[in-house]
Amino acid sequence: MKRWIAIAMFVLILAAVPQFLSPTGYWIRVFTFTLLFAAMAQAWNLIGGLANQLSLGHAAFFGIGAYTSTILLINFGISPWIGMFASGALGGLAALIIAIPTMRLQGHYFALATLAFGEVARVIANVWTPLTGGPGGLSVPFVPPNFAAYSFKQLLPHAYIALAALIIVTVIFEVIRRGAMGYRLRAIRENAAAAEVIGIDTTKVKLQTAVISGVLTAMLGTLFAQVAVFFDPDTAFSAASISIRVALIAIIGGVGTAAGPILGAFFIVPIEELMNDLFSSGAAGLSQLIFGVILIVVILWRPRGLVTIFEALRARLQGKGAQS
Amino acid sequence: MTILDVRGISRRFGGLQALSDVTFSVPKGQIVGLIGPNGAGKTTFFSTLCGLIKPDSGAITLDGTSIVGEKPHKVASLGMTKTFQNVALFAESSVLDNVLTAGLLRHDVETARERALICLDRVGLKTVAHKMAGNLSFPERARVELARALCTDPKVLLLDEVMAALNPVEMQEIMDLIRQLRDDGITLLVVEHHMRAIMAICDRILVLNFGRLLADGSPREVANDPVVVEAYLGRSAEGHA
Repeated sequence: MKRWIAIAMFVLILAAVPQFLSPTGYWIRVFTFTLLFAAMAQAWNLIGGLANQLSLGHAAFFGIGAYTSTILLINFGISPWIGMFASGALGGLAALIIAIPTMRLQGHYFALATLAFGEVARVIANVWTPLTGGPGGLSVPFVPPNFAAYSFKQLLPHAYIALAALIIVTVIFEVIRRGAMGYRLRAIRENAAAAEVIGIDTTKVKLQTAVISGVLTAMLGTLFAQVAVFFDPDTAFSAASISIRVALIAIIGGVGTAAGPILGAFFIVPIEELMNDLFSSGAAGLSQLIFGVILIVVILWRPRGLVTIFEALRARLQGKGAQS
Repeated sequence: MTILDVRGISRRFGGLQALSDVTFSVPKGQIVGLIGPNGAGKTTFFSTLCGLIKPDSGAITLDGTSIVGEKPHKVASLGMTKTFQNVALFAESSVLDNVLTAGLLRHDVETARERALICLDRVGLKTVAHKMAGNLSFPERARVELARALCTDPKVLLLDEVMAALNPVEMQEIMDLIRQLRDDGITLLVVEHHMRAIMAICDRILVLNFGRLLADGSPREVANDPVVVEAYLGRSAEGHA
């Protein structure tokens, strides 16, 4: 019961924040991207956390999502609300295609193979000019503001759509984690041979998880495209600013927990922006250096993620409660 | 009625013939002991039966269905599973979750939880259900293995040294449990090094040596078989035995 109240309070706070940010300002944009990255890290968490496969190729699904809905909008005038589902379908298909050969790989080998797939997707998007516009990128065409057309005058609706997306992805993650699939994934993570012997179709469970993660990530790519308005292959399929960042957010926050990616995103995205804001005029490289140092300190301090701070706090509170 | 039929199973690893033309069949409801010196191929044989290792040749039929070449999860759903000799629990999950996960083969989460508690009760581990599996002692972990395998509702259960490191009281409990399981209609194949336990509970004993089936008979027949004695103790010099 307490837990539900805490979750409801947290959602209310998140919903209230945009009301205090200037609707045309810079920070509402940061807030929206923070929510989107939290949702993406949550989708990644299915593979990276529950299946414990460190994917560094999620930009492939993300980019496919951004491009699919935007191409459908440009060429056929299809609303991104509908295009989002086409994005999800293609993202899921891509995840299946990537998962079949990489699924058997473990640890570093899986990470490297997925990283390579992400890069392949970026290269394809750069050279397939007739479809993607090539290195020049795509602009989401202007449509008169209208909810059905997913077009808004301000960023405020985008912030709430991102919040809704984060809630939906988190609920999906939690339902999977607590359900039969969560048990199966933990079993596979801890001992794949034993999991098979007690009747778990390890191949099928891994593929299902990869596809769900790919579908969600691609749909979030559509949301990103609508906020960003312009993107090119090197941003939408970026290894550093999409694939690795999404993994980093989940890891810093706490892998395998629903709260981890949310904490991670609210830590990493605003700090990175703040660093850029503070140092970009004086010494551009300095912001990345300081950001890197902060990440190293956090990882050394909390190797299992920021969520462990709350676990430690709760343990301390309960300890005190038991004494009194 | 034959529940498990094995015909001419062979498996070679490089230069080692791990299993060589193993043939036997087991009627429903028997307890069959599988004995043999270290390295005789007992664990390889169990792994082959449940699909972790593919045989080079031969046929395996479980309750009328050919299972050779099937993956372990398929074999488990058809009704045969095994425990792991070196214990392969989900160490970072609770004891209950370990067993519950096996129950998901045939039930939803809630029913699987109830079934898991019953299985844990049967192996005498209900009190540690919420402990982390990795924190248990080795004999306890072997019993969790047994409960987990049991929770898949098997027709044929392959037990690979579940009695290792048990004290005599615990061993008696597991022997009683194995007999109960037989009475419930489960067919059991048991690998065990405790000869006295094997002789006491088994209806029949298979002896494996260098991957070859050396003997197949009642405990008394096998114990008195000179070929078996030789395999275990080495060739006896005349007048020395």
